[in-house]
Amino acid sequence: MELFLMTLVLALLGVVVSGVLFAAAAGVNDPGATVTVRAPARAAAPARFFVDRAAAPPVPIDVVLLQIEQHVRLEQAAAEAFLHAPTRQSLHSRTMSPLVH
Amino acid sequence: MRPRAMELLKGLEPGDAVGLIAIAERLLLPAGSVLFKLGGEADCVYAIENGRISLSLPMQVGGREQEVLVEERTAGETVGWSALVPPHRFTLTAMTLIDSEVLAFPRAALLKHFGADPAVGLLVTRNVASVMGQRLQVLQAMWLREIQRVVQMTLASQSAAL
Repeated sequence: MELFLMTLVLALLGVVVSGVLFAAAAGVNDPGATVTVRAPARAAAPARFFVDRAAAPPVPIDVVLLQIEQHVRLEQAAAEAFLHAPTRQSLHSRTMSPLVH
Repeated sequence: MRPRAMELLKGLEPGDAVGLIAIAERLLLPAGSVLFKLGGEADCVYAIENGRISLSLPMQVGGREQEVLVEERTAGETVGWSALVPPHRFTLTAMTLIDSEVLAFPRAALLKHFGADPAVGLLVTRNVASVMGQRLQVLQAMWLREIQRVVQMTLASQSAAL
């Protein structure tokens, strides 16, 4: 009988200790605790690259082609100037090309 | 334009230049005319008498294939020297940007003429070699300038990512 009562008391004690530990881990033993809701990572992230690009009006192809033509003409002139006076400076002279700036 | 001012005929005696021009066909081309196309059989070398010609290659722009200017040539300059270089296929497309006038020298007639007058053949061949060399040097310089920009952009984007 004594052995039975001792086992019962130890079992009850174990249940109580487990309950206290569980409550502490779950935070329910602190009635003053505030629940913090984390903001979703997506909301905190900066605006996305592709979304921004999609929102921007597309540059007409004709304009792009004109810019390429202007770029080629300027580069050809710069390269020909380099051939007339081949120096490091003339090879890497600045350009006014809209494709570079 | 005086014949001797043409880069193809540079150094020729006036009589030799006239003799060479006699084998050429003069073409009057309105703006927008295609002189030759990429991949086409290169049968003629062309000397531009008047006008302006664009040399272009196809490129993807905005999801569509577009002809994009690679070089531009004006009066006195030569285009279509692929006619003298195997495998005699054009590697660019040539189109007139304004009303233009060109002399078309058929390869077969040129080679026959050179065979009959090797001194003229040597001078013209040297002129063609000179044109090819200058174009190569111009394109080398243009290529290096683009590579320099690619390197600068790559380094800048790598620095920004760090």
